[in-house]
Amino acid sequence: MLKKIRTFKGGFKFQNYPGQAKPLFVLAGIPLRVVIPLNRCSDVDVKPLVKKGDTVFAGQIIGRDDANILSPAHSSVNGIVEDIQRVNYFNCDTAMVAIRATDSSPEIKPLAGYAGDWQKLNNEKIEELIFLSGAASLRAVSPEKVMHVIIQETGAEAYNSSLDLILEGKNLLNFIEGAKILKKIMPQARVHLAVNRQHKKIISQIVNLTAQMDWFEVCAFKPKYPQGALAVLLPAILNQKIPYDSCAANLGVSLLQAQEVLAVYAAVTRGEPFVEKIVALCGPGFKENLHLKARIGTPLNEIIKDRLKSTDSVRLILNSLLSGPALEDLSFPLDKRFSQIIAIDDHRQREFLAFARPGLRRDSYSGAFGAHWLPGIKKSVDTNQHGQERPCISCGFCADVCPVRIIPHLLTRYVRREIINEILLSYEIFNCVECGLCSFVCPSKIPLLKQIKSGQEKLIAEGFCAKK
Amino acid sequence: MKMIKAIMEKMYRLIGKNRYLNKLKPVLNAADEALFGTDKVNASPHIADYLDVKRFMFMVVAALIPAVIAAVYFWGLRVLAVIAVSYIFGGLVEVCFAIVRKKEIHEGFLVTGIIFPLILPPGVPLWMVAVGVVFGVLFGKEVFGGTGKNIFNPAIVGRIFLSIAFPKIMAVNWQAPFSGGWGGLAHYQNTIDAVVSATPLALFKNQGIVTPWLNMLFGANAGCIGETFRIGLIAGGLFLILIRIVDWRIPLAYLITAPLFAFIANSFFHTHLASPSLQLLSGGLLLGAFFMATDPVTSPFTKPGKWVAGVLLGSLTALIRGFSGYVEGVMFSILIINVFTPLIDSVVLKLRYKTK
Repeated sequence: MLKKIRTFKGGFKFQNYPGQAKPLFVLAGIPLRVVIPLNRCSDVDVKPLVKKGDTVFAGQIIGRDDANILSPAHSSVNGIVEDIQRVNYFNCDTAMVAIRATDSSPEIKPLAGYAGDWQKLNNEKIEELIFLSGAASLRAVSPEKVMHVIIQETGAEAYNSSLDLILEGKNLLNFIEGAKILKKIMPQARVHLAVNRQHKKIISQIVNLTAQMDWFEVCAFKPKYPQGALAVLLPAILNQKIPYDSCAANLGVSLLQAQEVLAVYAAVTRGEPFVEKIVALCGPGFKENLHLKARIGTPLNEIIKDRLKSTDSVRLILNSLLSGPALEDLSFPLDKRFSQIIAIDDHRQREFLAFARPGLRRDSYSGAFGAHWLPGIKKSVDTNQHGQERPCISCGFCADVCPVRIIPHLLTRYVRREIINEILLSYEIFNCVECGLCSFVCPSKIPLLKQIKSGQEKLIAEGFCAKK
Repeated sequence: MKMIKAIMEKMYRLIGKNRYLNKLKPVLNAADEALFGTDKVNASPHIADYLDVKRFMFMVVAALIPAVIAAVYFWGLRVLAVIAVSYIFGGLVEVCFAIVRKKEIHEGFLVTGIIFPLILPPGVPLWMVAVGVVFGVLFGKEVFGGTGKNIFNPAIVGRIFLSIAFPKIMAVNWQAPFSGGWGGLAHYQNTIDAVVSATPLALFKNQGIVTPWLNMLFGANAGCIGETFRIGLIAGGLFLILIRIVDWRIPLAYLITAPLFAFIANSFFHTHLASPSLQLLSGGLLLGAFFMATDPVTSPFTKPGKWVAGVLLGSLTALIRGFSGYVEGVMFSILIINVFTPLIDSVVLKLRYKTK
């Protein structure tokens, strides 16, 4: 069932960025050494089940904690545990298990109890398989209570991994089977596929294949950033106002990506643990823009270094140009969260009379450059600030692009003057989804998002908590 | 380019040696930045829009170029001298304050420097241009803390200061425009004898004569330097709206309300306001609505506030034109609404965030 959805106010369409990943992938091969983080971006680790010197096989669970919602961690190669040490991993103190591979066989030991005909399995067994495979963390809400499953493939970033590739060929059918499996263990749920409406072929195929499934809904979105942010996506799909601070789990919403749905299918029908991930290598910094299928835990050094045009004056960014972190340490491993790795020029060169040039390749929210009026021209992309910081002139660009209708320049004015009180709360500072568009469009180059974040921190430090 | 870079480096070295000259560093920094851009990079978000304040202000100036060329055609090459004086003295004030404050030179005066001469009568003495622009930038902007913090539009402050301090020169000194052939492009200034003309609004108010609208659209009548070539102003204004430098709400509300107010007043109260088309095409309404009322710093930043300001501006302009002793009302109404801008914004914010 296809559902047309009205877009949100504000936002920005990032079009024609150079170096989109082509819809083909290469296998990265079995690495000599992997590093598996025992943390999936939360405050707690899963407990390690192995110790230094243990022999492990590919697919073996090496960290597991049934007390919390995290899915277990797997070894992705056959090998020997070299070391377990704590490192600062994206600002989380995380235990990392280093495993030295002893052979390069691509085989992965399947989980016990899978069945090709998954209809035969009972719900408990399916849930257990999904949990043990680490395909998707479904434990935040008990499956019976899930009202909505949202498969997030909005493709609204400047760089996206190719949905054509992920759902190519048989994968499309597997994907729909995966959705059926989810529906079986979540009997109350409706499944919504939030997809970029430019994927016309995939949409029509899925709509045809799911014609009989009245619980499956395809929501076609304009690829406008930040359509993928939960606070923007949820109200659009559920067609109701959602309090901004409510988390998905409380609303009975389970959020997945297409790759995770495929992994669910693979776990239940083939017993495959989730140890391989497809990442897109995007941006002009790579020699070739394609997708890479690699074992989770492969250090970035091994898979990325040779594919970069040069390693100096390049910035590697994870997932999103606007809200993603920079990948500064290439010894970090490939993680389940990675879907795009973007390499752009760390542009420190100065440009002669930059402000007076026509700008045929310059992307801008305003139409002040030629690129705005010439469709189809590849934009240039680099990390240069393109101007000096100046006082705010209240041009209102930040308020216009804000997807959650707050006024960033007003909040920034308060935060800079250290006026930290209820007024900031009443101006809905905690609604911010940290998409970074305000900082992007600001002609005065004010770091608005940074100021908003620091305002939030100061409010919390002073004892004003987020309004309920 | 290399040559310019070498010169800049030499200047930096020269300035660095001398304690007093060192204070001029903001000037050099500004020149350096304008010429070569920045080498700073973003933290997070990793990319930034290519638009900066320089480009922002540059586009406003670019949108005024048709009006400036037409002004030279109508009033002679002296217009260029007026603009030069305005830029030089306005820039000087800006530089002085940057040096005293030890801050960067801001780009705001690029726009002030071009708009201010455009709203002066063509016969204005050059010394008066200098006095006006210095007063405007000083008391309209710098005393409030510089660009971004000012309450009033500096160009309008300067202009109103001049019309109050030197009423005779400012109100009587209207020249007749050149027409035909090369026009003012070949002359410095119209002869003093030709100073026998009245603006369309004055003609209407004093003698009841209505100037033909086509005439006003193309600008062959008396008026301030930059306000008469109205077709160019409309084109420039629409261009700015199209590239989002100017928000469309204020000009739209302003340009609808002023004629509407005149229409209502004429049909219900038997007054003698100028007709709607005359309201729209006379005086500085188009220049004011597109380029001055929309100054982002001094106009409301909330969207409802923009509508309110536009409607108030329109009614005030028609009111002042029709009922006050002044012939023209655009400048006064913009100045008055500038005062109310913070109030309008705070009321809108209160209403919007009240329920939550």
